[in-house]
Amino acid sequence: MDNFSPQSWNKNSKPHLFCPGCGHAIALKQLGYALDELGIQQNTALGIDIGCSLLAWDFFNVDTVQTHHGRTTPIMVGYKIAKPQRIALAYMGDGGAYAIGLQSIIHAAFRNNPVTVIVINNENYGMTGGQLSPTTETGVKTTTSPSGKDTKFGPGFKGPELLRQAANEKAFIARASVSNPVQLKNLLIKAIKNQTENNSFSFVEVLSICPINWKTDADQSFQRLKEMEKYYPIGEIK
Amino acid sequence: MPDKKIFITGNEAAVLGAIDAGAQVMFGYPITPATEILQGWVAKAELSSAKAEVNTKLQYLQTEDEIAAGFGVLGVVLGGKKAFTASAGPGHILLQDSLAMAENLRLPFVGIMMQRGGPSTGTVNFSQQEVNLAAFGGNGDGLRIVYSASSVSELYELVIQAFNDAWQYRFPAIVLGDGYLGKTRSTVLLKKPNQLISIYPILEEKTDATHLRNCYSSEESFGTVLKKNIADWNKNKSAIAKSETFQTEEAEILIVAHGLVASAAKEAIVKLNLEKIKFGLFRPITLNPLDSTPLKEVATKIKKIFIIESSLNQLSRIVKYELAGLPVEFIEIAKPAEGFTPEEIRKAINDQ
Amino acid sequence: MAETEGSIIDSSPRQSEAQNDTNMELATIKIILAGEGGQGTQTTAKILSATAAEEGFEVAYIPSFGVEQRGSPSIAFLTISSNEIRYPRFDKADFAVILQERAIPSVAKYVTPETIIIFDSSTVSSKTFRAKKVFGIPATKLASENLTPKSFNVLVIGVLSQLLNLPAEKTWQMTVQTLGKKFKTEEIKEKNHQIFLLGKDFKLEEDNFTEPTFVPQQGAIETKGEGKRAIIIPDHCKSCGICIVKCPFGALSFGKKLGLFSMPIPEIDLKKCTACDICSRFCPDGAISIEKEKLD
Repeated sequence: MDNFSPQSWNKNSKPHLFCPGCGHAIALKQLGYALDELGIQQNTALGIDIGCSLLAWDFFNVDTVQTHHGRTTPIMVGYKIAKPQRIALAYMGDGGAYAIGLQSIIHAAFRNNPVTVIVINNENYGMTGGQLSPTTETGVKTTTSPSGKDTKFGPGFKGPELLRQAANEKAFIARASVSNPVQLKNLLIKAIKNQTENNSFSFVEVLSICPINWKTDADQSFQRLKEMEKYYPIGEIK
Repeated sequence: MPDKKIFITGNEAAVLGAIDAGAQVMFGYPITPATEILQGWVAKAELSSAKAEVNTKLQYLQTEDEIAAGFGVLGVVLGGKKAFTASAGPGHILLQDSLAMAENLRLPFVGIMMQRGGPSTGTVNFSQQEVNLAAFGGNGDGLRIVYSASSVSELYELVIQAFNDAWQYRFPAIVLGDGYLGKTRSTVLLKKPNQLISIYPILEEKTDATHLRNCYSSEESFGTVLKKNIADWNKNKSAIAKSETFQTEEAEILIVAHGLVASAAKEAIVKLNLEKIKFGLFRPITLNPLDSTPLKEVATKIKKIFIIESSLNQLSRIVKYELAGLPVEFIEIAKPAEGFTPEEIRKAINDQ
Repeated sequence: MAETEGSIIDSSPRQSEAQNDTNMELATIKIILAGEGGQGTQTTAKILSATAAEEGFEVAYIPSFGVEQRGSPSIAFLTISSNEIRYPRFDKADFAVILQERAIPSVAKYVTPETIIIFDSSTVSSKTFRAKKVFGIPATKLASENLTPKSFNVLVIGVLSQLLNLPAEKTWQMTVQTLGKKFKTEEIKEKNHQIFLLGKDFKLEEDNFTEPTFVPQQGAIETKGEGKRAIIIPDHCKSCGICIVKCPFGALSFGKKLGLFSMPIPEIDLKKCTACDICSRFCPDGAISIEKEKLD
């Protein structure tokens, strides 16, 4: 039995183009296992954003569309209107979700659109070389906060908590971390089921690592992730 | 003491141009290939913040998106300081919202757009496909000044020119570069500006309050505003329009190209002119308004014009409009989102 | 084996033999560097071009790469001239520096039979090239053996300073200026200086090239024993080290075999391994799998 990677992974696109040690790839592995366990590979449509998430355009054996930056959620909202029987996933980074795409996610949660939004939070804009993002914490150095992110640019942005305020009560909102892949997989499964069984909105933020832009090795990356987990609580947000 | 040559990228030249133009605020959002302009400005701002007075220090905001960035620029200029943004591709599309307001309210918006392949996310590398966007991308008639930089040093100069023209003539000003230019590191000697146009608050802070509107109830009242804006545009366009001719004195065939493609064309012309038929280049420096008088002068002596660009005829449409009626043959060489080396230009012309 | 004395070109760019079109062309050299994202190709180009600029030449350097941060071709066009350079890209390279086999298709069109090729003979086969002049240096091998594979580009900078006749000390100073933050201690800086000098003084191979053995092992590496079976796929492994730090039993460590980026990949001590599957669960690239052997 192939124990390396999920069935739903597209073998033809491996080795993939995510950086060595990229948290996206760890998360996409758990998403793959979730699709396998639910048996929904054939029935899923995946929208991806612009940023490092765009590298997943041929990652799965799943219908996938690369959208525009911050516009993945409204596209999948539209898709679900056309195809209510299919599972609509919207996958993006912290920049695409909480900067340019925030308005659309709030409204999807508010309207209870039955889509599942997955946000990989590595506290920076990775593909463009590591600029600050809304989730960059105070004091953290990035290429647009060379002396550390100043409080006047806001502290680390808590997306799931904000969405919980705006969202319909039937929406499922959670935060997971690549430090705990099994829990991550289970939260993704719960989120997808909220779409399929409750016809409601679901949202999972995934705390993730970015060794290249953080300039950390494997150990340091997970140390930083541990610190992030102190500020960004893991689990379902009720 | 003579100025020293420095070795900088196009994006670094853009930042230096903005600083030397007297800009104080930048709004931006990460987007390849313009991100280094935001990063460079941030680095300069951090250096300046330690020493400067509040009134002169450099400031910036990385906004939630390019829509907010463009409107942020408008906010600053209303308050009477020089501000700008830099973007590309999809970000340039989002900036059309604020550019339309700038066009209507005659606000000195300055934007530096480093063109990339389109449409959509396209490539992050290069194109000349944002000419339409820069000149005509809003829901108005295109009263925006658009420049096209053909070298790293010219990008520096045109950024300064953009600030001067925007504040003097009160039309939004866009400097077009591209991803190649932004990334090219080149030995340059920067020509410092002779004169800078001074700033003034547009919400004038006088006892008689300023009331700015951009929404009108009747066609006639709006028509009056538009007529005035168009009259100002027509009055000033020959002063604003700029161009360059290269080896056109004895040319039998003319090449028209802008930006980095024009630089490649110059190199190609040097080789081509070693043979019998002579070529010359007309290089628009402003694409809008186009410098039509010298263009017509050069074109009347010519039988054939090659229009060479990295887009599907965006430059060609503008040129042909100006030369309509002239008994000349146009040959369009279009390579959307891909560059031309001098050799490729030479070959394309020889193949015709 | 012939030895090359001094640099490949006789003196400064003013006397380059590569172009014969006009007198002006004789004063220009065009160099293309072809590597992969993460190897330091662009840093190398930046340092060399900045040194040439300091020497008073007209210089244009433009990188060419896609959106990925790692793992796809990273190309640099470098033009050094005594005359104005109007356009930073070109059709034919006078020199092509090949640092990664996978990048070759991206630069093939710039290489003509007249192009002088310099390549990393420890990772690229000399049989790949049909140019008139081909020079090899086993850069990855030398870097790995003398210091660390990560100092590969410092070695290449040394070689190219020799080639382009750039003053060695100035090139080294530019290297320190650019890479300074990575030289965390004086000792590391000095070791890199030695690597630079190694490259600078290296007598380039003109035949009897080093065998390209610093390449990812093909297929899968299977380790069996202690009732377990471990499989690692080298050309999926990016040497990120996550499996090593996540293994609760310290059963994994970097070994000698090479992965996708010619960097060491993990090897497993099955005595310590419990087949808990954590390594496989975390591996971002699906490069490792452990299972308990079924008892018959």
